[in-house]
Amino acid sequence: MRNNIVEDIKARVFKLIKEAKDVKSLEEARVKFLGRKEGELTKLLRSLKDLPLAEKRKIGPAANALRKELEALLVQKLESFKALPAGRQSKIGIDVTMPGKKVFRGGVHPITLVEKEIREIFKAMNFSVMEGPEVESEYYNFDALNIPQDHPARDMWDTFWLRQNEVKSQKLKVKSEKLLLRTHTSPVQIRYMEIHKPPFQIIVPGRVFRYEATDASHEINFYQVEGLMVGKDISLANFKFVIEEFFKRLFKKNLKIRLRPSYFPFVEPGLEVDVQCVRCGGRARLPDGQGCNICKESGWLEVMGAGMVHPRVFEAAHYNPREWQGFAFGLGLERIAMIQYNIPDIRLFYSGDLRFVKQF
Amino acid sequence: MKFSFSLIKKLAPGKYSKSELVEKLNLHSFETADPGGDVLEVALPANRYSDASSHLGIAREAAAIFGLKLNDPTAEKLKYDHKDQGVFRINVKEKNLCPRYLAAYAANVKVGPSPKWLKEVLEICGLRSINNVVDIMNYVMLELGQPLHAFDADKVSGGLVVRRAQKGEAIAAIDGQRFALDSEVLVIADAKQPLAIAGVKGGKSSEVSNGTNKLLVEAANFENTNIYKVSRKLGLFTDASLRFSHALSSELPLLALNRALALLRQISGATLHSPIDVYSRRQAAKLIPFNLKKIRNLVGQEFKEKDSLAVLMRLGFKKRGRNLEVPPLRIDVENTEDLAEEIARFSGYNNIISVPPAVALRPAEEEALVILKDGIIEILTGAGFSEIYNYSLVAKDRINLAPKGTLGMSGGAAEIANPISKDFAFLRDSLGAGLSKNLRDNLRFSNEVKVFEIGNIFSYSKSGVLEAPILGVAVAAPTAILELKGLVDVLFQKMGLTDYFLPDLNLNNALLKIGESLRIEGGDHRVLGYLGSLQEGKSAVLEINLGKLLTAVEEEKEYEPLSKYPAIIRDISLLVDNSVRVGEILGWIDRVSPKWVKDVDLIDWYQDEKLGDNKKSLTFRIVFQADDRTLTDGEADREIAIINQVLIDKFDAELR
Repeated sequence: MRNNIVEDIKARVFKLIKEAKDVKSLEEARVKFLGRKEGELTKLLRSLKDLPLAEKRKIGPAANALRKELEALLVQKLESFKALPAGRQSKIGIDVTMPGKKVFRGGVHPITLVEKEIREIFKAMNFSVMEGPEVESEYYNFDALNIPQDHPARDMWDTFWLRQNEVKSQKLKVKSEKLLLRTHTSPVQIRYMEIHKPPFQIIVPGRVFRYEATDASHEINFYQVEGLMVGKDISLANFKFVIEEFFKRLFKKNLKIRLRPSYFPFVEPGLEVDVQCVRCGGRARLPDGQGCNICKESGWLEVMGAGMVHPRVFEAAHYNPREWQGFAFGLGLERIAMIQYNIPDIRLFYSGDLRFVKQF
Repeated sequence: MKFSFSLIKKLAPGKYSKSELVEKLNLHSFETADPGGDVLEVALPANRYSDASSHLGIAREAAAIFGLKLNDPTAEKLKYDHKDQGVFRINVKEKNLCPRYLAAYAANVKVGPSPKWLKEVLEICGLRSINNVVDIMNYVMLELGQPLHAFDADKVSGGLVVRRAQKGEAIAAIDGQRFALDSEVLVIADAKQPLAIAGVKGGKSSEVSNGTNKLLVEAANFENTNIYKVSRKLGLFTDASLRFSHALSSELPLLALNRALALLRQISGATLHSPIDVYSRRQAAKLIPFNLKKIRNLVGQEFKEKDSLAVLMRLGFKKRGRNLEVPPLRIDVENTEDLAEEIARFSGYNNIISVPPAVALRPAEEEALVILKDGIIEILTGAGFSEIYNYSLVAKDRINLAPKGTLGMSGGAAEIANPISKDFAFLRDSLGAGLSKNLRDNLRFSNEVKVFEIGNIFSYSKSGVLEAPILGVAVAAPTAILELKGLVDVLFQKMGLTDYFLPDLNLNNALLKIGESLRIEGGDHRVLGYLGSLQEGKSAVLEINLGKLLTAVEEEKEYEPLSKYPAIIRDISLLVDNSVRVGEILGWIDRVSPKWVKDVDLIDWYQDEKLGDNKKSLTFRIVFQADDRTLTDGEADREIAIINQVLIDKFDAELR
């Protein structure tokens, strides 16, 4: 008969714990059954010693087991309350529709992202990655690249010159050592070839400078990636293959490219590379009939200058132009990033505004 | 450069529309735009002025593209009215600056307005109509690309002299503007004075006016770099100087002169004398071997010989045995690569079939610095720092701020000789100055800012300008400096650099609080950079020279044997005066037992009123370990006792 007492207590206490909505009602349930003085289960356990042996053996283990079970259950229930903010305590556990806990991670500058992606693509095509100085000599930036002095061709690159005192510049007569901020990454072509033997293929990412008024698409400093591949019979057809692969991977679309004649003194033939507009797919119009603003309704994006390395450039690097040939190209990183992320103004890249950078 | 579509079509007649021409020129010749009306806007490459800064040049391209016959106005032979050359002489004193000078005497000229067709072409190309004589000069320049000039022969005393100007001479240009001349400037002069700045602009004194009756018509060739320099020096850029400074063929003047004389006779009724031709530096005919194999190899296409030659013939090349003779106006064509370009662009770059390059496989490399930068960006963004790019060019008040000598730069900040504005007059000599501004700017939108930048800094050096790659980090937060210190630990640990020190900087500088700045040193105490609290706000900045860090990391890549024996760990808690610095305590603990102390860390610190005024509680965890045997508890206890005693003596510490 007394055995039923344990069952009876168990049924009532479980019901109370189950229905407890907060810490307070849970505590009340605990005191009612496990309270040191008046707890029902406590009293039952205390009374065991006065019972006949047979009954003690019967009820004792059951009552003790129930106590342990209760203690565990109370802890468990209490934990479930703690996990929820006050007022949202619920019997269904954590409300997973609440916002996740914020993890802080910094933003990477979009130019870094684009540069890295470009490096990865070219590395996968066996191109090595090199860098070069931002302060250059007139020789490497112009003369060695077949851009003659006192010729308007040089006006294609508006240049920042460095102030140098007379004494310094006088003793440097051999190569023109007037210093400037490099206007392109192309000087690294010469620097690399001076100390490496062909065949090879490299890319050169880096910051370059132009003396020009800033606006939404012009900056005084910006980023380029130079490419140079030299071998016994590296051809324009090879260039076309490499560059098609590159854009396919960069824009993750099978976009057509278009080559147009152009002029850079350090290549011959010289080319401009257009890629089908990423946004409108070359249709010049968007699905809603609006004109495409990215390609200015032309269907094409002008993205790269390129060509076959000019024999005089090889000569400047002491290569025999009868023996070696190859292609070179240069593309602007801001332009690619602006296309990739739909960024309207180049000046945002140098604004130092975290609201911009943290989006990447 | 602007062109008239209808004039091009007159020179290369055929059934093509303006938009077709624009499209084809873009694909085969030059970047061309259609601004509307009759105008074409061509971005002429710098090496093609000699043959293509003219309607005939563009028409020649169009004829080659569409397979049309060129209607060349210079093909007609001109008959002069008088075999004699008139009563004037030419004296070219500077033959190198003026390889060819050609002039003709024309009489009975009736100056008046130009016919409508002529005015229209000028207007489309952006030139103003003056009178029929001047307009004809300009028209022929637009048609054939050769600048011409007409002098009023009655206002020329004696003959024409091509000479350098003398210092002190001056000239009033046609528009009345006065220019002081010097010996760099080439002039066309008569017996008395300079009449024109050669190749740049005509003078007022011999200008053609309504009363003009006799002309001297000049068609000359001038050396390009001198025209370029003079034009820049005088700040005078004209249609003539533009063409001359790009270099023109000396075969062009005679063609243009005859064309101008023919028009003068037709329009102004002039009677023509034979020209005087002073051709001092004759342009030699250019022969280039026709090496089809090389051309195929360069482009990567199996061009047929017949097709390739056909393209070149259409452009005016002539076959001379195994060689090709370059048309005289194509001074840009010099070698096989140039021939390859002509063949490839007319056969169509877009018809080239892509071919994967076949090369020996060599593993791609990345420069060590590139890899280092990648790693740093990964660590910093993971730690909640965002990357920023600042300008390399800064204002004068943004240089000389960071502590001197900490970044390995010695000379002063490098200055731009031709700055675009005061804000961009110097090359930055630290990243810290820019980053501290980034903190200020971004604090307007958030109360904690963590930024970094990787970029080059610059300073003068003995051999020119020194350039160094730098990592700059800045934080605005209550314990900014400690965040940066923690960052240094993580960064160096990840880089594998364990041997580094952060001693007091003790250097006066404009950027940092002197008592809260540290030098960052690698092994052998070589300086890698600095960190410190900024003078303003609760913020701090750090800069590390990545070149030096790379060296430090590479030198330290040596295996350190792991101890086989267990470590003993003891914690000690101290109560010390607020002024006592943790760095000094750490230093003393290290020094007391350098052999066995493997590591000391501050694991807890707090300040509380209950501790008493100006007191702080510090808990250090000390790890003891020997390389050769197991330490006993007793040994560790003895060490702790010694350490405690030293701390009590040195810092008046109270053990807790």
